[in-house]
Amino acid sequence: MMSTTGHKTWPKLTSRDEFRFLVEQALKRSTGDHTLVALHDQHSGTTRFANNQIVQNVDTRRGSLSVTVAFGRRHGTAGTTDFTAGAVQETVTRATQIAHLSPDDPEYLPPVEPQPYLTPPTTRAETVAAGPARRLEYMNEAIGQCRMENLGAAGIVSSSIATVGVAASTGLFAHEERTDAQFSLTAQAGEATGWSAAAHRSIDHLRVQERTLTAIDKAKRGLEVRELPPGRYTVILEPAAVAGLWSSLLWMLDAKSYEKGTSAFSGKLGQLIVDKRLTLRNLPAHEDLLGIGFTADGLPTVASDWIADGVLTQLAYDRFTAKVRGIDKIPTLDAPCLSGRGSSLPTLQELIKATERAILVTNFWYIRTVNPTDLTLTGMTRDGTFLVENGAIVSAVKNFRFHESPLRVFNRIAAFTNPAEAITSETGKLLVPAMTLRDFNFSSVTRF
Amino acid sequence: MPAHPNPHQDELAELALKRVVASGAEYGDIRLLDSTTQSIRGEDRRIASIREAQDSGFGIRVLYHGAWGFAASSILSLEEAPRVAELAIEIAKGSASLASEKVKLADEPVHRDRVVTARRIDPFAVALENKTALLLETMEYLHRQPGIVRSSASLWARQDRKLFVSTEGSRLEFDLLAVNGDFDATAVHDSRFASRSFNTPHLRMGYELIDDANFLAEAPRIASQAVEKVKASTTKPGLYDLVLDPEHLSLTMHESCGHPSELDRVLGYEANYAGTSFLTTEKRGTFRYGSPHVNLVADNCEPKTLAATGYDDDGVACQQWDIVRDGIFVGYCTNREVAPIIGETRSRGSNRADSWGSVPIVRIANIGLEPGTATLDDLLADVKRGIYIEGHGSYSIDQRRYNFQFGGDAFWLIENGKRTHMVRDVIYHGITPEFWGSCDGVADQSHRRRYGFITCGKGQPGQSGWMTHAASHARFRNVNVIGGHVG
Repeated sequence: MMSTTGHKTWPKLTSRDEFRFLVEQALKRSTGDHTLVALHDQHSGTTRFANNQIVQNVDTRRGSLSVTVAFGRRHGTAGTTDFTAGAVQETVTRATQIAHLSPDDPEYLPPVEPQPYLTPPTTRAETVAAGPARRLEYMNEAIGQCRMENLGAAGIVSSSIATVGVAASTGLFAHEERTDAQFSLTAQAGEATGWSAAAHRSIDHLRVQERTLTAIDKAKRGLEVRELPPGRYTVILEPAAVAGLWSSLLWMLDAKSYEKGTSAFSGKLGQLIVDKRLTLRNLPAHEDLLGIGFTADGLPTVASDWIADGVLTQLAYDRFTAKVRGIDKIPTLDAPCLSGRGSSLPTLQELIKATERAILVTNFWYIRTVNPTDLTLTGMTRDGTFLVENGAIVSAVKNFRFHESPLRVFNRIAAFTNPAEAITSETGKLLVPAMTLRDFNFSSVTRF
Repeated sequence: MPAHPNPHQDELAELALKRVVASGAEYGDIRLLDSTTQSIRGEDRRIASIREAQDSGFGIRVLYHGAWGFAASSILSLEEAPRVAELAIEIAKGSASLASEKVKLADEPVHRDRVVTARRIDPFAVALENKTALLLETMEYLHRQPGIVRSSASLWARQDRKLFVSTEGSRLEFDLLAVNGDFDATAVHDSRFASRSFNTPHLRMGYELIDDANFLAEAPRIASQAVEKVKASTTKPGLYDLVLDPEHLSLTMHESCGHPSELDRVLGYEANYAGTSFLTTEKRGTFRYGSPHVNLVADNCEPKTLAATGYDDDGVACQQWDIVRDGIFVGYCTNREVAPIIGETRSRGSNRADSWGSVPIVRIANIGLEPGTATLDDLLADVKRGIYIEGHGSYSIDQRRYNFQFGGDAFWLIENGKRTHMVRDVIYHGITPEFWGSCDGVADQSHRRRYGFITCGKGQPGQSGWMTHAASHARFRNVNVIGGHVG
């Protein structure tokens, strides 16, 4: 329903006090045994370019509120993008109707009690202040560099600010501001492409110039391409490629599937699943990760080990399975960092220098599970695949399709670097090393 | 039922577009959208969630001196409309200051119309307790089969009430409905697990789609096939003839024909994300995409299909056209921006946004495989050693849509013209034109089925596209089948 009253605070997003007011409105109107209110209010903009000019330039403000009402173990949820008093009341009423008509849910648990939260660095003032002009400035920088090299540029510059909240009739209340900025670029030299990307809470930390030069270098090296046959190769995976494989692994850590025997990890808790030099931690307070203060359930995020010295030590618990298993503090995985123990090389360049012969992979694309039982994945290399010989890149190679399981291939590590920032179009942000892996299975080659 | 619940919608649209016209922009439009989505999800014999969400807002698109700006807001107020319009103008001016090539829109007649998609039973009027009872009973049926350890079942419905108004004078109202239901069962055997699923297509129908699907009659078959699948033997890698069912083909067509026929991809707009296309413009009219049996037709006019919305988000009337005719690639999916770039005088009407907050982009049309003359038995009869595949499984394809790999939901060995027993872990691999070139038979109209997608990812920020792909069974010769456990 449209309001004819002004919204003088716009584009300021729903503040802590305003969220508290909305929560009070909802709780006052709810007759449920328990009521949970969740807020997501976001202002975001993206400048998208291709062929060296803008193809989209967008700015969107979307606020949404959802209300879950429960009577005993019957629950229902309703959502709205309208924050007026009448709409909030209607949303509570609809959630109540749904709850009344729902069957008992044996796994329902009341909202959590008030929680203490970490205050990770989720927001940066420079990103809050960034608007279309700042995005254009970065885009111009990337396009300008590509034009100077007679290359085409396609990519995005985006920035967003969101306020997120969760509160409940138990007294639970959490609210925080989160900013996010992204840059990604595909430089094109005819058929050859080179890619680089960044995401950070701070728009000042996107390192646009450095990443643009990286994408340009890859595109230019791709002009001469040779075709190698499919087979097993030593590979050097850049951080984005490592992140693609690890993201698929992390998605499969669901505790309920583990319990039911429908997980690739079933029976592997406490066992060595990858090279014993590897450790995966969640680090919500890390400045270069996108950690958050609380989950959608209102639980605090926590710093924790998930894989310690190659051994699987945690699973991703829903609240019900955690309760059954007697897990008090549910581990979260909002800010993953993979690191290697022992001698590592400082940079990707050092890794290349130390390699006799390998395929260097910039990024993987369209990673999908082929066999969920052993976590065999497939996907394509993309935007910069090269042959390395005697410590140097000697040519580009046509893109490969791979078939590999992270559970096998991360037991064949030859070398690794320190963790570096990584994000792809198919993963969230992680800190992961670049790695040299032996006997990586490339099953076919494509036409370019 | 009103086409849009907002009583001030025309006033809001007028306020916004007045600003756009006054700015000197050559074109502008506004979309006001009010969406209601109900989703009910069952898991392991319980109803895990019931959610109903209202999502309302408006988006304003401005073309200023040949460059785009777009701004959108969920605050539907008379004060917000001009502010958002001014923002869209300011953004378009920023884009224009850097534009070397100006966007020029293909002409389209002015349309004033109202579109209501067909429904017999309003899904939002069906009692919630009947829906949850259906899902619970379906899951109970699945678990009656020994060996089933997990199940899920869900129902989904969405109603979009939309108003589109452009500075050219078009005014279009929409009341669009879509419905879907599905369930699956997972079996465990010998430390392995496997799932089998049943899906109604996503179609623009009412709840009659769910009633007609008869979940309870299908559940025992699905459960028993899940157990048979997990116990089945693996396939020996090698060359096989494949007979693919319409549901499976919907995904194959989507990935290997639909995406490469999007003209914005061909022109490089998606180079940084979804990718480009091997169907480059010089290939139109001459490139052999498949065998003469392969006719792929885009039809955004077929009732009940997802892209049949009367008009797209450019305000262009829906149309039917050929993508591949007698195996030759002949046509693209276009919008008003990209059609003139290849010399076409009118858009094909394939420009769609996934919400009020998203800018419309070129989307795959309802591309379907035209029926042939065979029966399914005819197709099987001529196969000495092959595999019959139903449903969707793993899928992956390169960014130019050449090298693909598909699994499926269920697989049967074909031996000497007969479908014999199930096998598991089947993955086939191919290069798009070679694969479609190996098609030597398509079943007739009586075998034709429609399946749709509502999660087709494209664009940055990411959007979900909706389209339907219809097909009859088809046969492909000597396809490279590899095991699903390689590595």
